[in-house]
Formats: sequence, structure tokens, C-alpha cells
Amino acid sequence: MKFLKLFKNSQVFKLALGVAILVVCYFGSQFFSQMQRLTSTLELIAKSNETQLEMEKQLSIINSYDYSLRNYIITKDESYLQNRFLNRGIIEEGIKKLKVLTVNDPIRNKDILTLEKLINHRFKLFRETLIAAKSSNVDQLGLNSKLKKSNDYTEMMKLFVYKIINSERLKTKFQNSNHQFELQDSLLTAFLLIILSLLILLLSFNKTNGDIEDLKQANDKLMLLNESFNAAEKTAGFGHWMVNLETNQYTFSDNMYRLMGVKPNAFESTLENSIKYLHPDDLEYVTQVHKDSLVNHQSTSIVFRFLTAINEVKYIMGVGSFTRDGNGNMIKIGVNYDITDQYKRTLELEENNKELKYINSELESFNNIVSHDLQEPLRKIQMFISRVEEKEFDGLSQQGRDYFSKIRIAANRMQTLLIDLVNYSRTIKGDIVFVETDLNKIISDTIQDLTTNIEEKSAIIHIGQLPIIKAIPFQLKQLFINLVSNSLKYSQEGNIPQINITSEVITEEEVSKYEIINKEDYYKIVVEDNGIGFKQEYAEKIFLLFKRLETDPKYSGTGLGLAICSRIVENHKGFIKVKSEPNRGSKFYIFLPKGDLV
Amino acid sequence: MITHQDPMHILLADDDEDDRTFFSEAITELKMDNKLTLFKDGKDLMDYLELPNIKLPHILFLDLNMPGKTGIDCLKEIRANTRFKDVSVAIYSTSSSKKDIEDTFIEGANIYIKKPNDFSMLKKVIKEVVNMNWQFHTSGLNIETFFFSI
Repeated sequence: MKFLKLFKNSQVFKLALGVAILVVCYFGSQFFSQMQRLTSTLELIAKSNETQLEMEKQLSIINSYDYSLRNYIITKDESYLQNRFLNRGIIEEGIKKLKVLTVNDPIRNKDILTLEKLINHRFKLFRETLIAAKSSNVDQLGLNSKLKKSNDYTEMMKLFVYKIINSERLKTKFQNSNHQFELQDSLLTAFLLIILSLLILLLSFNKTNGDIEDLKQANDKLMLLNESFNAAEKTAGFGHWMVNLETNQYTFSDNMYRLMGVKPNAFESTLENSIKYLHPDDLEYVTQVHKDSLVNHQSTSIVFRFLTAINEVKYIMGVGSFTRDGNGNMIKIGVNYDITDQYKRTLELEENNKELKYINSELESFNNIVSHDLQEPLRKIQMFISRVEEKEFDGLSQQGRDYFSKIRIAANRMQTLLIDLVNYSRTIKGDIVFVETDLNKIISDTIQDLTTNIEEKSAIIHIGQLPIIKAIPFQLKQLFINLVSNSLKYSQEGNIPQINITSEVITEEEVSKYEIINKEDYYKIVVEDNGIGFKQEYAEKIFLLFKRLETDPKYSGTGLGLAICSRIVENHKGFIKVKSEPNRGSKFYIFLPKGDLV
Repeated sequence: MITHQDPMHILLADDDEDDRTFFSEAITELKMDNKLTLFKDGKDLMDYLELPNIKLPHILFLDLNMPGKTGIDCLKEIRANTRFKDVSVAIYSTSSSKKDIEDTFIEGANIYIKKPNDFSMLKKVIKEVVNMNWQFHTSGLNIETFFFSI
């Protein structure tokens, strides 16, 4: 297992392969030198054999010559002597050959020279014997002794030649056994060589096979990744492209083509082909930005339009950045994002926003009309009423006086209505800042503002300790002014109005009833009175705009006061509730979120 | 130096004829020893004030919303001129908007009066303001005491 692991490591594998090749080379060279040696041994044996053969040949020629001479002596037939010159030539050639064969062996070479001398001397004996045999008066004794001498000499030559041949044979035998041994050696080396080569081949094959398998798996993964990437791009409306700055080669993703309104790979991915789909008005700007970036390698971020193949305008957000690829080449990668929908939505929103701003400014001018232009003539009417009441009242009939006081009441009511309308519209305006607000201060300001009313009714106000909250101060003051003046207005005749403003702990019942997630998140402020109250069934209705419960003219309400309260509490992300009972009084609960909720 | 031996000199600049009438009637009914001069707009007022030999007023009642030169324009001009440093300026306007109150306070008006909608109230306001101890009022002036309420 560990070996396999090591084997997988390509560095280790390369090292092992290198070592193996070195070993194979060593064995190869070994084998080669063994073969060389084998060849030279074989050559030596062959030479030795030839030397022996040539020696025997010399001897046999001498013998055959001897026989021919003897036959001539006995028969006196000249034809026996016919071959003598030929034989001599063969011997010369033989000696020459032997000299060549033994050129590398100085001792044997000397032996050959000795043999040559011996042969020359033998031929001299032949010649003397022939001369003696040919003379007209044959000296039989002399001839015999000559023959005897020749015979002895031949024997001596034979012995000499056989001695050499024996020595050669011994040498051949030794070389032969050497040869056998070397042959075995070479076989072993050759075998090892083949085994080793096979092993290397097998290992290499295994390794390559494994590598190919890994490569295939990696390729599969890459393909899967590519596919899911393509699908993701399609779903998300993205397309990407790349350019290699060294080769100026562009590549577009499938969805990049789709963004241009064509099928993937519909055309060759070049800059020239793709800019055909740019909106003509954007062409110059986009290509300029792109070309500049290729020079300064700065990231780009632009919004432009594609005029697609089907003449559809697409708004595209394009960002590009530079990086280096695996080969160290600088490349620019760009991502194009279809923002047509967002763009259209933004346009719509802008349109709506404009309209809203317009409506807001209309509301503002309406506010001005109500707060100033409408109040101006009303104030005049009231002034003149007061003038008439003061100076001309006595001159009027009783009915005239009644009518006049009705005019005054109506004018006053109109004034309150105008003031409430202004207050209500002021709670709708959006751009208001929340600040740390001390409710104790707000309440004391409220009481201050309502002093006249309070004194008029001889009301008793009790104020508990109140928290400091993040709020819009003028709105909170408006809230308490409305609540307290409501309590004063709807007081019971003959009862001293009593108003309590306190901060209370939120009960578990309220938590479940009003869906407050955590009671620690809210303040609960209670404004309680002992006024005329109302039926609990109206608890929701009273906060609606222009909803009035009392129709008795002595309770002159505008139907705006509590609607303003509800609005203000909503502006503070809180809520207002009321518990009431006719002739017992009302309890208003204001829930305001603590700082971090606003 | 203004002394109490002199009859009180009061100016009113208001483009509304009815308001001018109400004001002068109130002064008459109050039977105060004073002299009232009325102006129908800001330009008339400033033209008069720039005359070299006039006796400077004790109090100037100044409407804000006037055609041409507005009350705030007049106020700025008056406070830019040290000659008028002893003139008390009482803003006299229908508006009670926070912006108007703050702006005039910053520009150096002495008091802000919202025009009442009752004649007896108007008389009460004029009486209080005319008899006001300006030195005392000005030394403790802040945005709350600036807005006059009875």
C-alpha cells in the first residue's frame, strides 16, 4: 500500500525509472563485453584448430613426398616425381598461413620458424636422396644410409609437429571450457536484462494507465463543473468571456452568446464578431474602455446595451479584471450580467419616486394653504365677530345675537379643524429624525401648553416617572396634547377630571394579546382619565380618520385627534390601544419600542 | 436715548388693510399716550426709516408675509444698521411655523406675536408688549420666551 502510494508520486516514479534505466545500461554493457570476449575466445579456438590442421597438412605432404620418392627409387618411374614442385609450393603457402595464424603468439611463431627450417632441411635431404638415386651407378649403401637418415629426420619432424599440435589441443580445450563458462555468464546477463526490461515496461504501463485513469476522472469532473456552470449562467442571466493578452485569443461562454441573442458558438469568438451586437450608441464608448484596459490592465465596470440578433435591447452590467493563467500569460476575464429587468424596474421606481415627490410637494402646498391662506380669512372673520360682539351686540335682536353666537362657534370649530388638519398632515411627512427624547420633558411641555384648559376644568394631573426614548419630539408632544385635551374635553360634568400619565410594566396577557415578541423591547405608557368613556366595541374605530362617537355639540371634536395619535405611534413603530367603559373613564395604552427597534 | 417722558412711538408695517385698522383701533381704545405710524409694505417702512431727520420708533410691529420687501428682509436691513440698535422689533404674523419663529429669532427680532383672532386679545397683547420691560426681556431671551403667549 505504502509502495503504491510512493509509486503514485511521480517524482519517486521518475527517480525509480532513472535508476532502472542505469541498471539496464550496466547489464547491457556487461552483456556486450561478455559477447566480445566470447567472440575472441571462439576466434582463438578457430585459429588453434586451423593451426593444427595446417601442421598436419605439412606433415602429410612431407609423407606423401617421401612415399613418391621411395616409389621412384623402387620403380624408376619418373611420373612419381611429377608433383614435387607443386608440393613444395603448397608447403610454402602453408607456412605463410601458419605465420599469419600465430602472429599473436610469439612462442608458436618461433615454433613455426623452427618447423620451416626443419622442412627446408628435409627437402635438402630429399634432394640429396634423389640425386643419389638418379646417378647411373647407384651407391646402394650410400642411398640406404641416406634413406635411413631421411626416415629418422621425418620421425623427428613428426614428433616436433605432434608436440605443437598437442600443445595447441591443450590450449583449445582450456579455451573451450572458458567458452562454456562465459556462455553461461552471458545467458544469465541476457536473462536478467530481459526480466528487468520487462519489469520497467510493466511498471511504466501501470503508472501510465493510472495517470490516464486519474486524468479521465479529472476531465469528467471538469466537464460536470462546466455543465453546471453553464446552467447556472443561463439561470442567473450571466455570461463570461476571456481574452489572452499574449495571443489575443477570445473565448465566450455559452450564455455570453445567448446574451447577444444567438445560439452558443454561433460565430467565431472574436472581438470584431461580438461588438456587432453592441448598441450603436454604446459601441465607441465600450470598445474604448475595453482597449484602454488592455493597455493599463485596470479593472473595468460599465453598463451598456446589446442590440441582440432579434433587435431586442438588453441592458448589460459588464465587469472585467486581469489575472494570469496557468502558463503565466496575462488574461482579462469579463462577466456580463443582464440587468434589463432591474434597469426597467429602476426606471419605474424613479418614475414613481418623481410622482411621490410631486404628491409630497402638493401636500406641502396644501399644508401651507391650510395653515396660512385659509386661516388668514378665518382669523379676520373671528376678529370681526369679536368686534361686533363687543361694540354692536346691544343693537342686535335676540335672534340676531343667537345667530351671531352660532357663527362664532362655527368659525372656532373651523379653526380647530384647520389646526388638526395641519397637525395630521405633519405626521405623514417622511424626512423626520429620531433623537433621544425625555418623555418627562415632553409631558411637562404638554401640561404647560394646556394650562388654560386644565385650569378652566380644575383638572388634577398625576405624572409618574417616564423613560427617555428615541423619538420625534414634536410628534410625541402632539400625541400627549391630543390625549390630554381629549381627556379634558370628554370629562364628566360635575366630576373633577383626573388624568394619570404613567409608565407601566407590560403584562403577560398583553404579550400574548398584542403579539409583542419580547416585553423587554417595548415601553408602555398609560394615559388614564375618569371621563365619560365609551363602549369597548368602539375601541378600534375611534382611531380612524373623521370617526366621532359623540354627536352632542358640547363635545366639539374634529375626528382627527385620535387619528393623529395613532399615526404618530405608528411612525414610532409602536401601537396604541384603549380600554374604556361608559361613565367610568378611558385608559389609553401606548407601546413604544425601545431604542434599537426604531 | 429713549425716555418715558416722550410719548411712545410705535410703527406697524402690514400689507393687510383690515389688520392695520384693527391695530390702530386697539391702540385708540387702549387710550395710551403714544404715536402710531402705519406702513402698507416693507418698502414704505424702510424708505421712512432711512429718512435722516426722523425720530426713531420705540417699537416696530412687523408683518412677515408682505409683497415686495418681506418682513424678514426689513428685519435684516434694520439689524445690519447700528442706528436702529435701540429699536425693538416685534414680529406680528399669522404664521406660527417653527421655521418663521427660528429665522426671525436668529435675525435679531425681540419678540414673536401670532396675530390673535379675538379683538380683546389683540388689545391685551398690544398693552403687554408696549409696556414690556425690554431690557429685562432681552437679557433672558431664548427661543421659548421669544414666542409671545399670554
